[in-house]
Amino acid sequence: MIRKTIIKELKEIFRDGRFQFSALLVLLLITVAVAIGINQYKNTNEQYKASQSTERNIWDNQGEKNPHSAAHFGNYVFKPKNALALLDQGVDKYEGVSIFLEAHSRNEAQYSAAGDQTGLSRFGELTPEFILLFVMPLLIIIIGYNSFTKEKEGGTDVLLKSQGISNLKLTIAKLIAVYIPVFIICGILFLVAGIILSFLKDYGAFNWARLFSLYVVYLLYYLVFTQIVLLISAITKRSGISLVSALSFWIISCFIAPKTASNIAELNYPYPTKQTFLSQLNQAKKGGLNGHNPWSKESKALEAKLLKEHNVSHVSELPFNFSGYIMQKGEEHEAEVYFKEYSKLKQQFSNQANTYKALAFISPFLPARFLSMGIAGTDYESHMAFAEAAEAYRIKTQKFLNDNNMNNSKYGERGYRADADFWKTLPNFTYTPVGLSTVINHQKTNMFLLIFWVILSAILLFTSTKKI
Amino acid sequence: MIVTTDLTKKYGDFTALNNLNLNIKQGEIYCLLGANGAGKSTTINLLLNFIQPSSGTALINNIDVTKQPLETKKYLAYIPENLMLYPTLSALENLDYFSGIAGKVLTKSEMEVFLQEAGLQQDAFNKKIKAFSKGMRQKVGIAIALAKDAKLLLLDEPTSGLDPKASNEFGMLLKKLKQKGVAILMATHDIFRAKEIATHIGIMRHGVIQHQFVADQLSLSELEKHYLETMNY
Repeated sequence: MIRKTIIKELKEIFRDGRFQFSALLVLLLITVAVAIGINQYKNTNEQYKASQSTERNIWDNQGEKNPHSAAHFGNYVFKPKNALALLDQGVDKYEGVSIFLEAHSRNEAQYSAAGDQTGLSRFGELTPEFILLFVMPLLIIIIGYNSFTKEKEGGTDVLLKSQGISNLKLTIAKLIAVYIPVFIICGILFLVAGIILSFLKDYGAFNWARLFSLYVVYLLYYLVFTQIVLLISAITKRSGISLVSALSFWIISCFIAPKTASNIAELNYPYPTKQTFLSQLNQAKKGGLNGHNPWSKESKALEAKLLKEHNVSHVSELPFNFSGYIMQKGEEHEAEVYFKEYSKLKQQFSNQANTYKALAFISPFLPARFLSMGIAGTDYESHMAFAEAAEAYRIKTQKFLNDNNMNNSKYGERGYRADADFWKTLPNFTYTPVGLSTVINHQKTNMFLLIFWVILSAILLFTSTKKI
Repeated sequence: MIVTTDLTKKYGDFTALNNLNLNIKQGEIYCLLGANGAGKSTTINLLLNFIQPSSGTALINNIDVTKQPLETKKYLAYIPENLMLYPTLSALENLDYFSGIAGKVLTKSEMEVFLQEAGLQQDAFNKKIKAFSKGMRQKVGIAIALAKDAKLLLLDEPTSGLDPKASNEFGMLLKKLKQKGVAILMATHDIFRAKEIATHIGIMRHGVIQHQFVADQLSLSELEKHYLETMNY
């Protein structure tokens, strides 16, 4: 009974002009979006490779130089493009792709893609995630809105019932039939993306498990939509009303809910403005050690402590260069200040994230959106992980440079220069994005929320179709 | 096969069916005559459990239709007055689906036999229903009922939309089914057809069977006279 009904429903769906047209359109959009994505990905990857080697070359060949001058000369690190950004760009576009590392200050990532684009880009782009998150649910609506109402309007429900079909089996069959086209289109998209990504050179962090997890997330998201569209079709009497109701649900959950959620999050847990943040940072830095100011209260206190420890009367008698030492200590203090201030930002971010989770009951879109970005490695958390890795590397680099100064020059010596070969001994910056299991662990709540939506919509659908 | 006991259906103050007692056995064709709104369709809808009785019971093959609605459907086939099918599917596909959900697995040639028996022209078998006339749809409906191989038929003005020849063929078909022991309840306006094929005839008015006859105990003109008298009360 279920198999027969699925076959019959699919015949009807595939013979429906609206479905043929919209499925074709979706496939076309996906092809274009993926083609654009691959192109972008290739470009970015090439730029990334080129910049990375150029930058390292510049650093390695700075010649004889004072290490602290080199610290101010600085170096750049570059964010690798995640392979699954091909399917979901997440916030990548709005985040910078490289960070300038220098002495004394932690810099923000610069050169975001959005910064190079016109204002039009704010209205969204044709990207695979746009199709996956917004257009596919629309396709589900087009396929399923009249699934039950067409039986009522066409009068076929009478014969159906008299033939003794059980409502449960009918509903299961309709659910599967509406789901199959979406399942297939989405499957093709992911399979093609996977094949392309595994054939691309330097595909970095791509693995099939991640892609498959992303696929599962979208399948769950579509299951929620399919069940809700069928629920609406079952409880309304006319196809027109069903269509309008389903579209309303789509607009609310995909457009209104996310905007509302972000407004509420911003209202309750606002980020400080850049000015406030910087002035707080400067205030905090002032109160501590500064490597460039050996006459401050803090420097003097550190000096006295050091002299006592080594049992000497003047800093020039220390077994190392005090200037280098104090520079490093100053650097450590500043790093600590940065860590503290950025932790506050991070706290605010996680407060906002919790607000989104709390509001996920009004929209299955929210957990799906965050899961998708998280698994693709393009969410803000992934960006923070990169920024933190860069900061850790900056701290290490500063220590590497200050230690050289401290151990190879004398106190008061002017014009000390490290060897031209010294720079090459600085280890390369390496950054590996967080693994899948860590991501899933972080995204537990969103996973749970999405599954909650699947169960809730299933219960609603099957209880409401008991009597039709 | 069909037993109703004091079956009553009320809509507010209006009584659509009042204490109906029917007992239709295997091999009997019971024709319900009556004007529009007499309660014929209400009776059939109650037997199909499409609507709930206000009081009384209806049994099909000794099973209460309100308690085990799905179970009773196994034994019956139903042809409504205006039979609707899936417009984008062909006659064969519709037949395949509707008999499929009733648990019948039929080969293509078996299905063609049923369509032929129902009087549908060969060249329409693979055409989509949306191009069908009402009469053609009705014939597919008859084929669906035949394919179900049911023990009883509930027919709600099944010949409406059929041309006289098709209507006659349908009558012959019902007689054949009667021979096989199928119990048939048919609501109709067609006195002539009723007299020809029925074993029993009931004339209904205001939700009550006013007169009941054994069909071969009266002539067509007597039947017509009774009918008109009942209607002119």
